[in-house]
Amino acid sequence: MIATIKSIRWTPYTYWVTALLVCMFFGAIAGLIVFVRGLSVTNLTDLVPWGLWITIDLSAIAMSAGAFLLCAAVYILDLKQYQPVARTATFIGLIGYSMAVLTLLLDIGRPDRFWHAVVFWNVHSVLWEVTMCVTLYLCVLVLESAPIIGHTKWMQNRWPKVAQWMVRVHHYAPYLAIVGLGLSMLHQSSLGATYGVLKARPIWYRPDLSVLFMISAMAGGPSLTVLVTMLAARLYPRIQINDTILEKITNFIAWVLIGYLYFRFWDALSMTYTYMPGRTEGLRVLTKGILSFNFWVWEIILGAVVPIVILRSQRFRKQPVLRMIALGLVVAGVVAYRWDTTISGQLVLLTYLPNEIVARYTNYFPSFIEFLSGIGVIAYGALAVTLGIRYLNIIQHYEVPAGVVEAHSLPAATD
Amino acid sequence: MADQNIRRRDFIKLSAFGAAATAILRLARRVSASDPSGTSPHKWAMVIDQAKCTGCGYCTLACRAHNDVPPDISWNRVIEVGNFGDRKSYLSRPCMHCEHAPCVEVCPVKASYYRPDGIVMMNYDRCIGCRYCEVACPYGGRAFNWEKFTGPNPAVPKWGQPEVERRPRGVVEKCSFCYQRIDRGLAMGLVPGVDDEATPACVVACPVRARVFGDLNDEESEVYKILSETPSYRLREDLGTMPRVYYLSARKEEAA
Repeated sequence: MIATIKSIRWTPYTYWVTALLVCMFFGAIAGLIVFVRGLSVTNLTDLVPWGLWITIDLSAIAMSAGAFLLCAAVYILDLKQYQPVARTATFIGLIGYSMAVLTLLLDIGRPDRFWHAVVFWNVHSVLWEVTMCVTLYLCVLVLESAPIIGHTKWMQNRWPKVAQWMVRVHHYAPYLAIVGLGLSMLHQSSLGATYGVLKARPIWYRPDLSVLFMISAMAGGPSLTVLVTMLAARLYPRIQINDTILEKITNFIAWVLIGYLYFRFWDALSMTYTYMPGRTEGLRVLTKGILSFNFWVWEIILGAVVPIVILRSQRFRKQPVLRMIALGLVVAGVVAYRWDTTISGQLVLLTYLPNEIVARYTNYFPSFIEFLSGIGVIAYGALAVTLGIRYLNIIQHYEVPAGVVEAHSLPAATD
Repeated sequence: MADQNIRRRDFIKLSAFGAAATAILRLARRVSASDPSGTSPHKWAMVIDQAKCTGCGYCTLACRAHNDVPPDISWNRVIEVGNFGDRKSYLSRPCMHCEHAPCVEVCPVKASYYRPDGIVMMNYDRCIGCRYCEVACPYGGRAFNWEKFTGPNPAVPKWGQPEVERRPRGVVEKCSFCYQRIDRGLAMGLVPGVDDEATPACVVACPVRARVFGDLNDEESEVYKILSETPSYRLREDLGTMPRVYYLSARKEEAA
């Protein structure tokens, strides 16, 4: 054992993978504790039933939005030059959604009944719709990623027939892109509506949340895809990227961010008009209270304003490091938005007492076990993407494996 | 030999198809069974008189004993809401059994559902513990089983036993208007709200008779009479949830 460890040549890659494996190991232990001891090991309460895990879940899904956007661009708008990036985004999307499923399994009180939503339908429930969309879209992502696996040497040597089938799925990419676009648009916005339809929570109860969740995901998802691509290209000399198309995507992100900031501004401003019990207090928590640093610094300044400046200026965005920082900030800003939304709606409670409909405050900070298992899930995602970059060749803009060069038709060799 | 092979394959295919068809049929039946259709002649409602309530908490205790509610959960909460004259005023809060219940609308698996008689019910075998209903309920009427409730329930007296099964860990629970007492009482030919055996435990246990239960469809029922004669209010009426729990405010003439 020690000999094998000693024989490992320690490179940044092995350090990184080891660190992720350690995080996953402790995350798995924490997850096991959650399954054995139940949700009493969390700091969640009947007043704040949703917390860190839901935030990770919402963020993972938002970060996967690059998949449907780029697939739609390539296969529906016929912008073929983005095809290699769509490949990366699809794989990241697949991992992101599997992360979301993992956190949901942690979060529900009866993980053994996770399949109930598929069997027992309540079509009135936004959460049911989200569950169905996520399940179906996960299937779409598996199919969309099948050619990536099918192209690996290992697969082609081991099960040539299966590999051939997996590659052939690519034939249906345009249809999958259409289905994926529909499902993603539905549930990305419905995740906002999950909060937005609740009358009991005045700070949430507005239609804007679905719009804002949608737009922020459209900024955050591609940001992560481009960031991972640029990072991988810097770390692996063999990975060649086409910076022109990445720059175009960042330009798109900047415009989306401007739109997001615009809607966000009106959304926030409209809530300041007249006093409304619960909503006004929630807004105060967000802009002046304990979430104010998150809101102003992470969400607005670093999460939107600074990236807009960097990504809109040609001089700044040409510098790779500066552009990567900007993209990282967008990602952080979207995560901060998910967290602030989740928490602000629950920290402020509206009483139901007859002559006294006033706001009361509660508190929540995730427990150690929540952090540990959450970090474990994130480490799993990071490891899966790392291995995907290394072994599945998910980032390759020029030496695209045979069969994926053309976006629409399949080369005769595999038919 | 080849013939036999094909036959075997056909047999396997056929049985697989048959198994799949049976599974789908059973599934479909289960799904359709999830919608308790049908009508009921009854519409249960509760009236709580704040002028009479002394805040003794017997309602909560009786509820615990009959429904095996764990000590850290209250299906029925008694809240001090201020002073009225020289005495304190209380608000006793069971589940509102809303006509437009946010919890029923948001539940992804129909674990919360309307009974035809208006009771908002929980299917504890179906709940996945997502707690969306808890987030959605404006009345804080729901509680999650964060831990498994083991051991004897301190609220249950030695001479009796709870009427319903204890809920498992990981599901959300709430007041059911003691549906088990109503259903059994109706089967025995009793009238809920009149006969104690058919009336929710909190109503029966109230020492000052501050709670009245009955059928809003029955013009002879006490709830119907009270609500048509006395001004009443419901909690958070602005939300349009249409609760079936009505309150009579603390009034001067009875405040002494």
